[in-house]
Amino acid sequence: MIRQVDNPIIEIHDLSVAYERKPVLWDVDLSLPEGKLIGIIGPNGAGKSTLLKAIMGLLPLNSGYIQINGKPLEEMRHKISYVPQRESVDWDFPTSVYEVVMMGRYGQLGLFNRPKKADKEIVMDSLRKVGMEDFHKRQISQLSGGQQQRVFLARALAQQADIYFMDEPFAGVDAATEKAIIKLLGEMSAENKTVIVVHHDLQSVAKYFDWIILLNMRLVASGPIEEAFTPELLQETYGGKLTLLTEISDLIQKNRFPNRE
Amino acid sequence: MLENALSFFDFNDANVVYVSLGTIILGAGAAIVGAFTFFRKKALIGDAIAHAILPGVCLAFILGGTKNYFLLISGAFFTGWISIIAIDYIVKKSKIKEDTAIGLILSVFFGVGIMLLTYIQQSGNAAQTGLDSFLFGKAASMLAQDVIIFSAISTILVVMILLFYKELKLITYDKDFAQSIGLPVKWIEFLLSSLTVLAVVTGIQAVGVVLMAALLITPTAAAKYWSGSLSIILVLAAFIGGFSGVSGAFISYIAPNMPTGPWVVMVLSIFAIFSILFAPGKGYFSRLLLQSKNRRQIQDENILKAFHQIAEHENSFGEAKSIGKLREQRYYTIRLMKKILQRLKRHGYLRKTTEGYYLSDYGQRKAARLVKLHRLWELYLTEYLRIAPDHVHEDADTIEHLITPEIEKKLEEKLGYPEVDPHNSKIPYD
Repeated sequence: MIRQVDNPIIEIHDLSVAYERKPVLWDVDLSLPEGKLIGIIGPNGAGKSTLLKAIMGLLPLNSGYIQINGKPLEEMRHKISYVPQRESVDWDFPTSVYEVVMMGRYGQLGLFNRPKKADKEIVMDSLRKVGMEDFHKRQISQLSGGQQQRVFLARALAQQADIYFMDEPFAGVDAATEKAIIKLLGEMSAENKTVIVVHHDLQSVAKYFDWIILLNMRLVASGPIEEAFTPELLQETYGGKLTLLTEISDLIQKNRFPNRE
Repeated sequence: MLENALSFFDFNDANVVYVSLGTIILGAGAAIVGAFTFFRKKALIGDAIAHAILPGVCLAFILGGTKNYFLLISGAFFTGWISIIAIDYIVKKSKIKEDTAIGLILSVFFGVGIMLLTYIQQSGNAAQTGLDSFLFGKAASMLAQDVIIFSAISTILVVMILLFYKELKLITYDKDFAQSIGLPVKWIEFLLSSLTVLAVVTGIQAVGVVLMAALLITPTAAAKYWSGSLSIILVLAAFIGGFSGVSGAFISYIAPNMPTGPWVVMVLSIFAIFSILFAPGKGYFSRLLLQSKNRRQIQDENILKAFHQIAEHENSFGEAKSIGKLREQRYYTIRLMKKILQRLKRHGYLRKTTEGYYLSDYGQRKAARLVKLHRLWELYLTEYLRIAPDHVHEDADTIEHLITPEIEKKLEEKLGYPEVDPHNSKIPYD
């Protein structure tokens, strides 16, 4: 069940990606509508984070291309925000909450320029939206897991983008933070922002998202929640393991075989 | 020796002034660049570069035949860069991990360097004297023109770091994010690597090849004990690096046969050890102090609680309690008990009469609150965590000292201001 849309905000065409030579995504082809809350769902190792990283241009592609609003990524970077997994950075790095959120302004600031008053206001405003304004002077090493995630979200908000990619924002956060995040996502969606979220917990999928992408090394489904979130498709995503595909991937890695001729 | 020392501080000798200023700038520059390799967890790369520079210097000398600094620095820069590329290549294209790759490159390059150095020394070229000071450094033997060249390079390093501070900080903290906003990450990493090579090339004047890594890493390792802000850490590291550099120059001035490097490293290590031991907050003694403060707080609060519990039991609120009675409730040695009681009296929780001690109003309120916290926590454990009532006392005995007024309020609301704890003891409210 792959629903293509007219005037997509994101179009992924025949995307294949390998991670350390091992293919993890095969021929993903999908298009996404604007202003929706979109969940990427799939088991461990399905390539969910890889898909996000590929879209953000952080990984080399084996094949295919990605278009944002009909344009290549490089022209649209200022409209896109990326929230990496919380564990991907060192939280002992010597810096404050305020300074991390200010990093969200660096893209607009450009080289050599220092933050201006407007940037500072945007940063404080973003912190307010995630309920962390009282913590702006705090060392990041002193934050709880939920607070770390809020800081990452505030940094994304400070980018003032139109499209947000979030890698597992709900992983390892407390219930209050989860609630705060989902409320925030709702508000963003109401402002016609497109938010794409890698998500783990099947129980909350139907509650949180308008549209889902089911992924397990290849695209199983992409469509509105009521059409794509069905027991059959979930079974196909999580159940029937594609052992052949995994075996071939392993072979390619082991024999250092090219992914494309 | 003493005369030498005094004449160093006279600064009459123009060369002394040059060398002092030069080593300060060298040390500070290396420390600032080193801070970024430190936080990128690539501290050992600096060591590899330092060792890889030796063959470059020797090759340049063989080709040039004289101590032409421009040539020597170019040679050093060249092999230094090759070592970085080689390490990256090995990590990317083989199954060898980074630490092994660094060890491999470091020893191969250094081996070749020593081979070439031996060849030069045996060739009897008169100009070669002083080349071996590259091994352990000899700051005092620098001439005015050397100092000017190396200080200029160090100044450029510092200026570049300041210019790209924002970007360097971002790629150090979160490289993926930096790339996602379109920052030229590859280019900035190339810049940082080049700066590191330059920092090593200049820094080896002060400490030599073998100990160069210390000048890159140790200032930051010490500075990070004193601050949680990258910019302040950089300033502190620059100070530590500069001070250690000039100390080394001073020592090689008063003892001309001493190699500089080991002395610079000694001074650096003193900074590091001092920081590890005495830094407020993160230092060893600071933690020790906190532990003993916690211990005293727990003792004090336990005794306050004992007063309340005895009074509750005998219905004797407001009456004095003897030390013997208190020790029945909480078994501390008599000496310790007296010390705690003295302390509580000093802080106004207790008053003394001939029969013993009794709680002041203030002390009574505090004691009641502690008993309340203990019982609330017991109730929370039994109701929310479903722990058996006979297993909750020990937990509550620790947690009661830790509960803040905010958590206290949440507990009360969550449990609905309960009357009694799981053992049917009354929970005292104000």
